[in-house]
Amino acid sequence: MSEPGTEGDGANRLESTALTVIFAGISGTLLLLLGAATKSGSAGADWWTRPAFAPAVALSVLVVANFLTLWRELSDLRARPPSVQERAEAWDCFTGWLRPVEFLAYYAAYVWAIQHVGYFLGSLVFVSWLLFRVGLRQRRWFLWGAVFCVALIGIFRMGLGVWMPAPAVYDLFPDAARTALIRWF
Amino acid sequence: MDFLWLGLQQLADPSVFLTMCIGAILGVIVGAIPGAGAAVTISILLPSTFGMEPLNGMTLLLGVYCGAAYGSAIPAVMINTPGSPVAVLTALEAKPFVDRGEARRAMSLAYSSSFVGGVLAVLALMLLTQPLANIAKNFGSAEFAMVALAALVLVIVGHNGRRAEATAALAFGLFLATIGIETAFSTQRYTFGLSFLQQGVALVPMVIGLFAISEALIQLTARGASQPAVQLKGHFFQGFMEVFRYKRALYGSSAIGILCGIMPGVGEFLAQQVSYVMAKRFSKEGHLFGKGAPEGIIVSEATNNAVPPGALIPMLALGIPGEELTAMMLAVFLVHNVIPGPSLFIDRPEFVAGLYWTLLMMNVIIILFLLVATNAIARAALINKRFLGVLILTLSLIGTYASAYNFSDVGVAMVFGLLGYILRSHRWPLTPILLGFVMGPILENRFRQAVGGADGDLTIFVARPISAIMVAAMALLIVLTFCGWLKGRRQPPAFQINDT
Repeated sequence: MSEPGTEGDGANRLESTALTVIFAGISGTLLLLLGAATKSGSAGADWWTRPAFAPAVALSVLVVANFLTLWRELSDLRARPPSVQERAEAWDCFTGWLRPVEFLAYYAAYVWAIQHVGYFLGSLVFVSWLLFRVGLRQRRWFLWGAVFCVALIGIFRMGLGVWMPAPAVYDLFPDAARTALIRWF
Repeated sequence: MDFLWLGLQQLADPSVFLTMCIGAILGVIVGAIPGAGAAVTISILLPSTFGMEPLNGMTLLLGVYCGAAYGSAIPAVMINTPGSPVAVLTALEAKPFVDRGEARRAMSLAYSSSFVGGVLAVLALMLLTQPLANIAKNFGSAEFAMVALAALVLVIVGHNGRRAEATAALAFGLFLATIGIETAFSTQRYTFGLSFLQQGVALVPMVIGLFAISEALIQLTARGASQPAVQLKGHFFQGFMEVFRYKRALYGSSAIGILCGIMPGVGEFLAQQVSYVMAKRFSKEGHLFGKGAPEGIIVSEATNNAVPPGALIPMLALGIPGEELTAMMLAVFLVHNVIPGPSLFIDRPEFVAGLYWTLLMMNVIIILFLLVATNAIARAALINKRFLGVLILTLSLIGTYASAYNFSDVGVAMVFGLLGYILRSHRWPLTPILLGFVMGPILENRFRQAVGGADGDLTIFVARPISAIMVAAMALLIVLTFCGWLKGRRQPPAFQINDT
């Protein structure tokens, strides 16, 4: 699979077609749900005021555009059948979608963690774990990560005053320290 | 005169001046870091500006926008890696300069043409916005609906080689805008009984997901090492005067940049391509383009920097954003109840005048900063991509959360982040999603008002002169595009819009 963000349209054609099939399926399903998902509001309403009008137009265009893309991709596959190598790579490409999901799982854990251990500590652990996970394991990277977390606190919590919910762990501290932690960290 | 004086008073406000400097310097730095860029930074900063005065917030974001346009040239020249897609042509033209040991000359050409393009575009903004707003005073709902529709048509037409995907992305954005409570009958659309969807899809989590989280995921999963930066040699001021030897390329490309900025949905990438193709055709040294022609760098950078102020013209005068970054900035207006459009010049003249002056001064600040800091910024451009991914992902959480102090928004951002990653990895454009999302409510409301006022008669759009002209122009554009597609379908397109 070509790296996203690099030059050249190197995406696997079978993977691209599968993606378009998914998009076409979702958009088609949403269009079929139009009646159920948009309440008419008033049976006697004029056509241009009906709540379903705007989503109907948007979804119709979406379905047509998706099927046009699909038709183009299928035509291309018919004109130039995929090679054995391209077929073999297609599965790797699909599993490649799991790579960002892994990072999003860490991200979800980060969201959960800052509500329990606080923003600063949560960020520090998250940044350190990500650095470890992506292979930046020298001491200097962790140091830079810590500097970044301090800067984060300085700019957003202390500078811009972004409020965060008080985590349970701060209850373990004396009142004065707890207040400071809630306010700044 | 009083109007301009009012603007100078705004600029003299230390908080405005400070945010301008911070925004401009930050913009240059992030513009120079491949993978960071204006879209990522503005999306993360957006919620932080909601608590600022409108002019401060806009100045900060515009500083990032304009600074990034300058900064993207640094890695293009010094490490032959464009800081953003719009610096691809600069990288192409600068490489032979670097090979000849004239990196500093290339850098000077890039800076000076950026400066001229940027300043001319701000002057155009000052001269054209109010007259356009005066014309817009005569606009009714039919005209506004057609302006919005024209913008959407331009978005699709502008994505040469990816029009079907751009149409799908645009329609998806339009659909997203319809989710939530529908105002006319207070009924729900596509909420599926989920309470967090009743308010609709929030702009900030969507923007951060599509532009910042997806970028972070790309950087985190990317492989490959950075190249070392070249050392600058030669006379720095050589190129500063040299640009005026190529007046036609300089002023012509600036004019194209301004024009394309004004046209909603066109954006800097297409503007640059059009400028480059035209300059190559009309230049006496057209054969040197792509082989280190000074005009190539001038055209690329002047156009690139003329677009941001140009894109502000339709936003301030009509309330129609020109491209994705001004669409994000529209949120700052809405949060502060500043309504862009013809009434803005009557209701908030100090805001508009202040914006003009800060934009003008911003170009001076940026060029002064670049004169002293180019080598240092070039080192920042070499930041490890995976480390950058970690930074962006961490920043995106506070950016999303700070918009509404709601952790459920982070979930929305994650969904859009994954979607953005998948779409970008398949070269589907993201910008049309945002433009469709922002323009959808404008189009729907104005369409309803216009058709409702005509009792359902659709000929209202051709019965009014300005609206009729727009309908005719759109029809002509669609026909010409279709003819062009039929003619060239057996040949690959000269260029493809790849704003991802």
